Amino acid sequence: MAEKDTKSLKSILQKPVKLECKDLYEYLKTRSADVLERLYDYPTICLAVYRELPEIARQFVIRILFVEQPVPQAVIASWSSQIYVKEHTAATAILGDLGVWRSAAIPGGLPAWELSATFKRNLKIALLGGGRPWTMVNVLDTDSKARDIAFLDNYAMSRWRCVLHYMVGGATKGPDGETISPDAVRILLNANLMKRDENDGGPVITRQGFQFLLLDTQAQVWHFMLQYLDTCEQRGMSLPECLSMMFQLSFSTLGRDYSSEGLSNTLLSFLQHLREFGLVYQRKRKAGRFYPTRLALNITNKNSVAISDDDTQHDKGHIVVETNYRVYAYTDSSLQVALLGLFTELLYRFPNLVVGVLTRDSVRQALRGGITADQIISYLEQHAHPNMLLHEHSIKSKSPLPPTVVDQIKLWENERNRFTFTEGVAYNQFLSQSDFITLRDYAQSINVLIWQNERNRTMVVTKNGHDDVKKFWKRYQKGGS
Amino acid sequence: MGPPKKITKKDSKAAGSSKFEKRRRPEDEAYAQLVDDDGPTTESDIPASAIKNAERNDEGIQEDEYGAKDYRSQMELKIDHSSRPLWVAPNGHIFLESFSPVYKHAHDFLIAISEPVCRPEHIHEYKLTPYSLYAAVSVGLQTNDIIEYLKRLSKTTIPQGIIEFIQLCTLSYGKVKLVLKHNKYFVESPHPEVLQKLLKDPVVQNCRLRPKDENGEDGFITSVQDKSKPALFGAKAATTTTGASETGDKVDGDGIVTTIVPEDITNFYEKIDNEDEEEEANLKTVSFEVNQEKIETLQKRCVEIEYPLLAEYDFRNDSVNPDINIDLKPAAVLRPYQEKSLRKMFGNGRARSGVIVLPCGAGKSLVGVTACCTVRKRALVLCNSGVSVEQWKQQFKMWSTADDSMICRFTSEAKDKPMGCGILVTTYSMITHTQKRSWEAEQTMRWLQEQEWGIMVLDEVHTIPAKMFRRVLTLVQSHCKLGLTATLLREDDKIADLNFLIGPKLYEANWLELEKKGYIAKVQCAEVWCPMSPEFYHEYLITKTSKKMLLYVMNPSKVRNTQFLIKYHEKRGDKTIVFSDNVFALKHYALKLNKPYIYGPTSQNERIQILQNFKFNPKVNTIFVSKVADTSFDLPEANVLIQISSHGGSRRQEAQRLGRILRAKKGAIAEEYNAFFYTLVSQDTMEMNYARKRQRFLVNQGYSYKVITHLSGLDSDNDLLYKTREEQGHLLQQVLAASDIDCEDEKVPGEGGVVRPGGSKRTGGISSMSGGDDAVYYEFKRKNAHNVHPLFKKFRG
Repeated sequence: MAEKDTKSLKSILQKPVKLECKDLYEYLKTRSADVLERLYDYPTICLAVYRELPEIARQFVIRILFVEQPVPQAVIASWSSQIYVKEHTAATAILGDLGVWRSAAIPGGLPAWELSATFKRNLKIALLGGGRPWTMVNVLDTDSKARDIAFLDNYAMSRWRCVLHYMVGGATKGPDGETISPDAVRILLNANLMKRDENDGGPVITRQGFQFLLLDTQAQVWHFMLQYLDTCEQRGMSLPECLSMMFQLSFSTLGRDYSSEGLSNTLLSFLQHLREFGLVYQRKRKAGRFYPTRLALNITNKNSVAISDDDTQHDKGHIVVETNYRVYAYTDSSLQVALLGLFTELLYRFPNLVVGVLTRDSVRQALRGGITADQIISYLEQHAHPNMLLHEHSIKSKSPLPPTVVDQIKLWENERNRFTFTEGVAYNQFLSQSDFITLRDYAQSINVLIWQNERNRTMVVTKNGHDDVKKFWKRYQKGGS
Repeated sequence: MGPPKKITKKDSKAAGSSKFEKRRRPEDEAYAQLVDDDGPTTESDIPASAIKNAERNDEGIQEDEYGAKDYRSQMELKIDHSSRPLWVAPNGHIFLESFSPVYKHAHDFLIAISEPVCRPEHIHEYKLTPYSLYAAVSVGLQTNDIIEYLKRLSKTTIPQGIIEFIQLCTLSYGKVKLVLKHNKYFVESPHPEVLQKLLKDPVVQNCRLRPKDENGEDGFITSVQDKSKPALFGAKAATTTTGASETGDKVDGDGIVTTIVPEDITNFYEKIDNEDEEEEANLKTVSFEVNQEKIETLQKRCVEIEYPLLAEYDFRNDSVNPDINIDLKPAAVLRPYQEKSLRKMFGNGRARSGVIVLPCGAGKSLVGVTACCTVRKRALVLCNSGVSVEQWKQQFKMWSTADDSMICRFTSEAKDKPMGCGILVTTYSMITHTQKRSWEAEQTMRWLQEQEWGIMVLDEVHTIPAKMFRRVLTLVQSHCKLGLTATLLREDDKIADLNFLIGPKLYEANWLELEKKGYIAKVQCAEVWCPMSPEFYHEYLITKTSKKMLLYVMNPSKVRNTQFLIKYHEKRGDKTIVFSDNVFALKHYALKLNKPYIYGPTSQNERIQILQNFKFNPKVNTIFVSKVADTSFDLPEANVLIQISSHGGSRRQEAQRLGRILRAKKGAIAEEYNAFFYTLVSQDTMEMNYARKRQRFLVNQGYSYKVITHLSGLDSDNDLLYKTREEQGHLLQQVLAASDIDCEDEKVPGEGGVVRPGGSKRTGGISSMSGGDDAVYYEFKRKNAHNVHPLFKKFRG
């Protein structure tokens, strides 16, 4: 008789990992205390962290910012009413996770909170001024070739699309004949959005990559930049310096130009990367000035303003989904078409229209590729044609898509997940039928039997029941022989 | 010994995969078997150009990396494309934005020249076919007008192939008409050169009837057609009101339009519109008379030389056939779409033959009655069952001034005296009956054959096989034929024959628009998934015979769902019809739930009794019916339909059944749904595939099916049947004990499309005439195998 663990099988059958999309809090939470301490050495980072805190936590920080000694935890707890105890614990946990404060003991043994000294000092600087001057300063003389906001938006989006194009089209060039730098490719590979093909070594898109493509632009930029920051240490750049630069950019004014003078070499090369991804605009590498774009401004901002140039408005609402599963997209952008082609069967392409249809096969192909039904639906919703929003059912259900289509996509996903997994241990190769029956009956009597087949003398018991059954079997064998 | 082993390995692998394919294919093609077979089409009845297919025009087109046909190189986008509503693909498919300001114009135009493929909410798809263009020509559109207007409406330039296709299909059509005037047949045409050409043909020459005194080479009778009087339908009051509302419509339509629409569209639209409404006042036509006995040969010959004759009937000038005294009652008011369809038929003051397609319950019979009242000659109405004969009689009495003495029924049960009557209502099978008839029937038949009928109304015209239809046409002479149907749709290609046997499709209504305006009921369609119980599923998997079907129909959870739905709707006070094609299931369900049922062997009297009770008896709220009730059972009260077993993947049956509950309900414009259509499907069985196929027509009309995976409240209801395993096991025993005959669908005489074991298989080629043409769906399946998204091709994860 042999026992086999079915665990390995389970790992094969399990669904692929979902793309993790962290926000600032989740990102910082996973950094070590040491890194955090270094980060808090920059007032801009402190300010950004402070802005992202929940309201109660911000209240706590500002109240004890000028208190020079640890504050008893009970005191802080007394500030909020008992009804909001849940919010209170959440806030304290967040502050602890981020290393903004840590518990300390005050004389008398009472537990207390104490703000991190670095954080305290630098937040004061950020709020009150003083300290070192910001590395990013306004240019004093006006640019002879100043750029307006529309231009910057356009530039930013075209650069960003370049990156997406690269992911979709692989090595082929984008529409403007531009490609991305090896550094950017390295980031994509490192972020597991693309991977090296086993045969020719060229980069190909991964499951996470598909999911990444279906995110909205802001989320894409943020995720991408986090991955960039992960690799910057390897490149010999300082993480805190880059991060602080990024936050400085997000605090800057759109349409203003800033001087790149006085930036360290690390930051200058960082700036070149940002330029490539469309986060800043610089006319020439050595222009001495740069313009942050909306992509950079929106990076940490929760309620951001979307770019609203003609092109993106076009992007925003171009897809019509019909109740007969037809999909019409008013677009000629090869990126849009490629994305749509991920989960629809494309039929015709007209100069400004793509006709496709959602079929079971096409959606299943996407699901197999690691895209989830929710991602497909949210992509279609995000890009729904304005006319879809006018329809009566969409007003009722708040989704512009026909409800039957949404249901069906979900059903197609569900039909792939009809297996339920139960961990267990298989027993087989019994020597006699009576052995098998005895053990099976025992397993059944203690309610641990999952499955059995008398013909080939195989049975599966639950993981928890395994020990009991094993013991019983040993006893039985001893008694029998 | 490495290499040989490898090869065998490969071989066995290949064999395995082909085996797998083989195993899959019969399932896919199961629907194909359900197609009925009327024998080979006689090609000679259809002009050669009609067989040409625009679909092939784009075979050479390159596909882009996603498998889509790339038309971008074939057309240029116009600068003002946003104000123009359509795209024309080189394969004849046309896409129309329904939210465009010129939608109304474009829609009317497209309906005239093309077939609607699907018409959901936002973007409609049409398709140009030879038949649709033939129809366009026959209602008076000219080749150049079609091309010009299409050019103006299109966002892009029109592919050259399409222009050629339109020219090819329209140039020779509609140029010559066969007109019956003063009881003489004339071949008439506004183009003398066409007639010259025709007369060069020896066969045509032979058919010509020359006046004796004339020997000239071109003895054409030239005539100037006088300004036609617009045909009036119904009581005067009705027409004036509709007329007024229409002009009102036009005014405000134009008011909006001028601001956004490029001028050429509106100008041209008006031009076409005017042409359509009032034929050119003084149209010069030339004609020659034809020998009446040789009409048949002439028609055939003209088709062969690609000048099909359009049959028109100048009923106003027909002095030989007596008028019958029949008028619409003042109370009969035509709805706008009914009037529009009739205007297409009587457009130039004469009656054209053709087919009018309206959804069930949208008032097809009123259109038929009005047509008869307009022609005012002897009328013959053909329908497909005894019950609908009665219903037609009722309709005539309700809408027109005809009384019992004028209407004669001719069925196996009721034979009224035919002499002296104006309207004869009968069934197709009565006419085409080949066995011995009773003396009385024989007399009536003879009389019927001797008559020259003014108009022949063919109800549910899609149901008759072409063979039967030809028999009807050879037996009965009539000047004008009007076909009525809800679904010009067959699972085979036979619909195309109707074009040349009756005439082109004159009008097809948009279901969704009628629903929005409250002319037909607002239906919630739902597909209820019933999980197979493990025992049944086990049997289902191991059974190979037709019993498979019985197993999924008799699935206990299906019984429970049915019972639950019936109870739910009875509590709401709804009237429910339950359909089952399988008689074994029908009886079992009906007896178990204690409800009346109707199927083939039920006698006429019992049927009428049950239907009367269903209509008026508040205690009978649910009836079970087999497929005999699919068509022409008029049950205006019913608003819930539950389908427990159906005929394979028949789209037509699905649409016809939906039609049973489409008649507009009281308080017509309802916010929410006022009718319910449930299809119960056993999960993981063939039924799922069938259901998907069946729904395609309705889905293309804009209906959406809601999938219900679980009915809430089903588990908590303890009164339902088959709750315990034992009961279910008992049911399984019953099913397994059932004979093979029980497993088959009911066969209804005259109805094609019953599964014939060993019947021939047909693949592809769904009729291009059908409103729900879905050739595209086949395309996907074929394409799928080798067309993977380029990203997925690369991606191996």
